[in-house]
Amino acid sequence: MALHLKHLVRVAVVLALALASFGVAQTDIDFAVWNYSLDIVQDNIEKFESENPDVDVTLNDYTWPDYHDTMVLRFRGNNAPDTLYVGQDWLPAWASAGWLAPFDEACPDLTQYAADAANYAVNDMTYQDQLYGLPYYADTISFLYNGAILEEHGIAVPETWDDVLQASLQLKEAGMDHPFVYEYGQELPNFFDAFVAQVYGRGGDMFDEDLNPVFNDPENAAFQHLQWLQEAVTEHDIMELVPHETDVIRTMNTGQHAFSVVYNYVLAAMNEEATQPRAGEFALALMPGEAHQTLGFAKFYSISQAATNDADKREAACQFIEYMGGGDYSIATRWAAENGLGFAQLPLFEDPAVRDAWNDWIDVDLLREQVASARTGTWTEWTSIWSAYFRPLLAQAMVGESTVEEAMNSGAARWIEYRETVRGN
Amino acid sequence: MTRRANTEYLWVLPVLIPVFLFTLYPVAHALWKSLHRSQVLLPGEPFVGLANYASLLNDSTIWASLRNTLGFTLVAAPITVVVGLGVAYLLLANYPGRIYVRSVVLLPWALPGAITAVIWIWVFHPSWGLLNHGLRLAGIIDRNLQWLTQPDLARFAVAVAHIWAQFPFAAVLMLAALSSIDSTLYSAAAIDGANAWQRFRFVTLPQISTMIAVLTVYETLVAVTSYDVTYAMTGGGPGSATTLLAFQIWKQSFSMLNFGNGAALAFLTALLSLIFIALILWAIPAELFRTDDE
Repeated sequence: MALHLKHLVRVAVVLALALASFGVAQTDIDFAVWNYSLDIVQDNIEKFESENPDVDVTLNDYTWPDYHDTMVLRFRGNNAPDTLYVGQDWLPAWASAGWLAPFDEACPDLTQYAADAANYAVNDMTYQDQLYGLPYYADTISFLYNGAILEEHGIAVPETWDDVLQASLQLKEAGMDHPFVYEYGQELPNFFDAFVAQVYGRGGDMFDEDLNPVFNDPENAAFQHLQWLQEAVTEHDIMELVPHETDVIRTMNTGQHAFSVVYNYVLAAMNEEATQPRAGEFALALMPGEAHQTLGFAKFYSISQAATNDADKREAACQFIEYMGGGDYSIATRWAAENGLGFAQLPLFEDPAVRDAWNDWIDVDLLREQVASARTGTWTEWTSIWSAYFRPLLAQAMVGESTVEEAMNSGAARWIEYRETVRGN
Repeated sequence: MTRRANTEYLWVLPVLIPVFLFTLYPVAHALWKSLHRSQVLLPGEPFVGLANYASLLNDSTIWASLRNTLGFTLVAAPITVVVGLGVAYLLLANYPGRIYVRSVVLLPWALPGAITAVIWIWVFHPSWGLLNHGLRLAGIIDRNLQWLTQPDLARFAVAVAHIWAQFPFAAVLMLAALSSIDSTLYSAAAIDGANAWQRFRFVTLPQISTMIAVLTVYETLVAVTSYDVTYAMTGGGPGSATTLLAFQIWKQSFSMLNFGNGAALAFLTALLSLIFIALILWAIPAELFRTDDE
């Protein structure tokens, strides 16, 4: 019995020493994500760990609807993740609260990658002139059309919003109920983003350089475009309003509609041969309007301020972010080629693997042209909560429940109220 | 005897502690929040008195939500009770397989709100919904109706989905009430020459009126606090057409991250519920709740 006990003690001591030495060698970091394609995320992590055996990455995943609130609560509860996905609309609030670390201080070597990224993405990842991320995923909002329908009716691809209206009226005359499918979900940020993209297409702006709202000026492109949308719904009745982008995919594939405005990944789904009956008929056009510009956005990898308190952890986190969003862009390439995820790293437009995969569903060169002129949104500490207030106003005006002037003036007043609350001017 | 009187409070403690922890404390905390500026993105939580309540009362979208909630409740609650009574009658009838029918009828009530919404979106969807397809086949419409994006049609659609989800519960309770009626009362009424309507009016209705009152109160509370089906079907739109108060509570708290306003609105909604209950109880004859001994 005494012998057994002695053995057990020896084994315990050896195990403890092994574990202790193992712990000293390893740096643990955690990585918070929303739960898109977790199998690929986990596989990427394993590849990183095999190349960096001294770093152990723990994945924490949350659903997309819960992600923002969970992260806010984690930051406020002093339980910040070391590395995480961040959305462009959250950056100003999170950075100003001191929750995220700027790369200049935390990972200075990573700032070099900004040179390879699309302008709108760099802007999305920047707060007060400091870079806070490397791109995980980026996309632009595009104007889409059904090429087969336009060809059948002898209609040219619209260049302006007046062209869109005339083409829609022609299709309506030919028996198509609602030529334009519009994602109309007032609780979805996409609903606001799509509106801004159309305003950019006209060459307009929502705000001036001093963050004063200009969209409530009747001469402004935003005001005029909301008027256009209202008339399209209430007067010309050319719009099929659907609650979600997934409905756009199904609805466009009925063959009863010709136009839509959505993110490019929706075009990828619409042209997916395995699931969609009219795959291959849908194409990208430059956003109608005098400027042909659109809105782009980036989601990105960031490092928390908390992770920088420990030098080993900070270094491991920077290594990990570089592997995921920089380096030879192998991870971004994988997302683009395997999942059709958009990217901000411009060299990927030349990558044969990406071009081969994307040529099946989009004109890559035209997309490149659209990306080159894409602009960022106006992201402030209060943009996301203001957008939640403004979206229902847009929705009301679109269906004629309020005038364009009422919606725009009310939105402008609330913007100024939030700005004064947060910045005091 | 005195010792027993002192210890009896200890015996109810196991019940009082959870009530305090899970009811009184959250309510008190919400009240505290409603009197403070609790905006996640702004630093600190300063005391602001009734400013959150004042800001809500000055917000036109809150008034629009109040009007929607009143309209929704006044339509949905009574119709749910009436449909429940009708279905209870069907379930009471004697026919082969009625035990299975009773089980199936309960299904809509057992489904989560999000699933109910998905089902009804498939029915009301403007492009590929069953309803437009059926109406087109029947030659009633020649163009698809925008059920979920035209204000009046959207209000109708969410009310239908809500009633569909709620009527089974009303039916089951009504079935219990109908089953407990003494059959000799119907025999006596028949001997007195009462027809079917008179038997319902003078025998059935008095016997189930208490249940009707209770169900009306319950369905009113459910309608005032309804959230999930509407949110999933229309997101409160188009515009504010289907935005209900409960949805605004969520929106103020989790979309606009203003927990102070959210808590204040929750208290205003609770007040509205109390007013509804008081009005219903005031409108119901007191005899309904009197026992035979009184």
